[in-house]
Amino acid sequence: MYFRFGSALVLVVLISLAGIALEKRNLELRRSVTRQRFRHDVLHDAHIRLRLETQRLGAPARTIDALESGELRVEPHRKPMVKRDDQ
Amino acid sequence: MNRSVHRETDRRALTIVTLLAFFALVIGGRLVQLQWIDRLAFSDRANRQRTFIESIAARPGDIVDRNGRLMATTISVRSLYANPAHIADAAQFARDVAPLLNLDADRLAARLKLNRKKQFLWIKRRLTEQQEIDVRALKMPAERWGFRREFLRRYPQGQLAAHILGLRGIDGDGRGGVEQTFESVLRGTDGERVLVRDARGRVIDVETEPVRPAQHGRTVVLSLDAVIQLYTERALDRVMQEWRPSSACAIVIDPTTCDVLAMASRPAFDPNNPVDVLPAAWKNTAIASMYEPGSTFKPFIVAWAVDQQIISRDETFNCERGAYRMGRRILHDHHPYGQLSVTDILVKSSNIGMAKIGERMTNRSLYEAAVTFGFGRRTGTELPGELTGVVRKLSKWNRYSTGSIPMGQELAVTPLQLITAHAALANGGKLLSPRLVLGDMEAMEDFGRRSMPNATTQVVTQTVGAETATWVVAGPMRGVVQRGTGKRAQLPDFAVFGKSGTAQKHDPATGGYSSNRYVCSFVCGAPVDNPRALVLVLVDEPTIGTSHYGGTVAAPAASRILQKTLLHLRVPSDAPRPRTASGR
Repeated sequence: MYFRFGSALVLVVLISLAGIALEKRNLELRRSVTRQRFRHDVLHDAHIRLRLETQRLGAPARTIDALESGELRVEPHRKPMVKRDDQ
Repeated sequence: MNRSVHRETDRRALTIVTLLAFFALVIGGRLVQLQWIDRLAFSDRANRQRTFIESIAARPGDIVDRNGRLMATTISVRSLYANPAHIADAAQFARDVAPLLNLDADRLAARLKLNRKKQFLWIKRRLTEQQEIDVRALKMPAERWGFRREFLRRYPQGQLAAHILGLRGIDGDGRGGVEQTFESVLRGTDGERVLVRDARGRVIDVETEPVRPAQHGRTVVLSLDAVIQLYTERALDRVMQEWRPSSACAIVIDPTTCDVLAMASRPAFDPNNPVDVLPAAWKNTAIASMYEPGSTFKPFIVAWAVDQQIISRDETFNCERGAYRMGRRILHDHHPYGQLSVTDILVKSSNIGMAKIGERMTNRSLYEAAVTFGFGRRTGTELPGELTGVVRKLSKWNRYSTGSIPMGQELAVTPLQLITAHAALANGGKLLSPRLVLGDMEAMEDFGRRSMPNATTQVVTQTVGAETATWVVAGPMRGVVQRGTGKRAQLPDFAVFGKSGTAQKHDPATGGYSSNRYVCSFVCGAPVDNPRALVLVLVDEPTIGTSHYGGTVAAPAASRILQKTLLHLRVPSDAPRPRTASGR
């Protein structure tokens, strides 16, 4: 009788421990997802800032004189956004 | 006695059991009510107490030019707020914070004291990165202050195309230009997510899946070319420096599609720093100002008269040696001319010749010409604040009008109307509404496709026959540049056509035309056999020098813009190629 009672008790404890472990893992994963989202937002912001800076530094107002004087080489657009019908 | 004692004990026991049973019943009933009957209501209430819905701000979309160059974008920055209810010493707080944010400490302290019962007060919005670092370094208690993430609109091309783009206000709403017209496309839709908080209100969990994800604003693609826009603005800056006018504007259009490649006005403003801006600088002169067009209007009258067979192309008119009486009015030409062909009337810009054509046409036909070329109504551009111009009702026209309208007086046009009408002549008589926005990026994933779902619908009207339009462009308007008033617009590599205009302004003092205030304009395009670009430069009231004619003030700038535009568009030169040594 003691053995049966002990076994049942151990079983209950084991199931509880397994549940706690699963819950911990679940929380860990959720924290991880939240962190990934935060990182994604930060990287997205950084990407926008870098793109802004790139466009600012490469603005025609800064580069056109160097291009016209031959200091920089003109690269034709490889993939124009708008095609004319006659092109 | 024992029996009576037992009976008393049983009665007490029964009472206690009954009371306990009743108490158990009440508790049980309450449990049933809490757990079953009112379960949903209590569950909702508990949820409301531990969760709250936070708005996820949608990032406004970008604006790019036709080649994908970034014209406007949005970055995320921090704004500082304070919790005045938790600030005991407002003066000390202001002394700490104000110097870092370039604020006045006394005024900030006064604001904090005035709002001392409030839990939220903006201190400064949209801080720089350095300001954010400096505020954090103060290490103030968390309950007194906080940062909120906000969006900041940036324009990487600086002042370029400021009037076209417009700007965004402190609360992110579009003000003027494309920012205002395409607010619904650019703004996007805010989302929502659920946050779980503890009894003290601290966030302890964020629900993984948002209730409603934010839909960020879409990218709007303009028809502008940033390089051509730059050439145009530089040419305008030079005009402003050289002639010191009250305002000036320039527009570049592709006549076959009526795509606006550049549009600039002076004075202008910097959308990145819109402070201390002159009131006149907010105005987009190209659409929100109207002038009498003067001689730039003459080609439309001639085209209409020829197309309606009211006059013939090879006809000549006597220009009366420079003075011609029309009723009580005597018309003058700048130079005295005798017999002039229709072509030469335009080339020499003879007012008397045009008045005689007007007499032949009558007011009705003149009115039809003006209306058919789109004057007196909006062009349909996407920008807000466009004026209609003025074409009075035909019933109000008189004999005076017969002489005035053919030379571009008694009506008012916007620069955009004027160049759109000239684009019709350069496009075989087809009048298209100008297009400034090609669509949004999502609709343009297939770059080769011309028709885009969100692009503005263009209205096409046939004004005059293609043959007449081609003749006006290749004949009289080409002659204007070759041997007429537009010689300064000649280009070595291209056959340019054009028309100058010098309109006297109204003088409020005399009620008539001013003798020293002019609107000088010049419209030109090239190549003459297949026009790829059309340029209009309009200069309002030049003050330096005395030779204030369209051909002297506006033509050089227009030809400079045209040349740069054609080179940028890689339009083949009209000039014959020099032969190589092998004779090829």
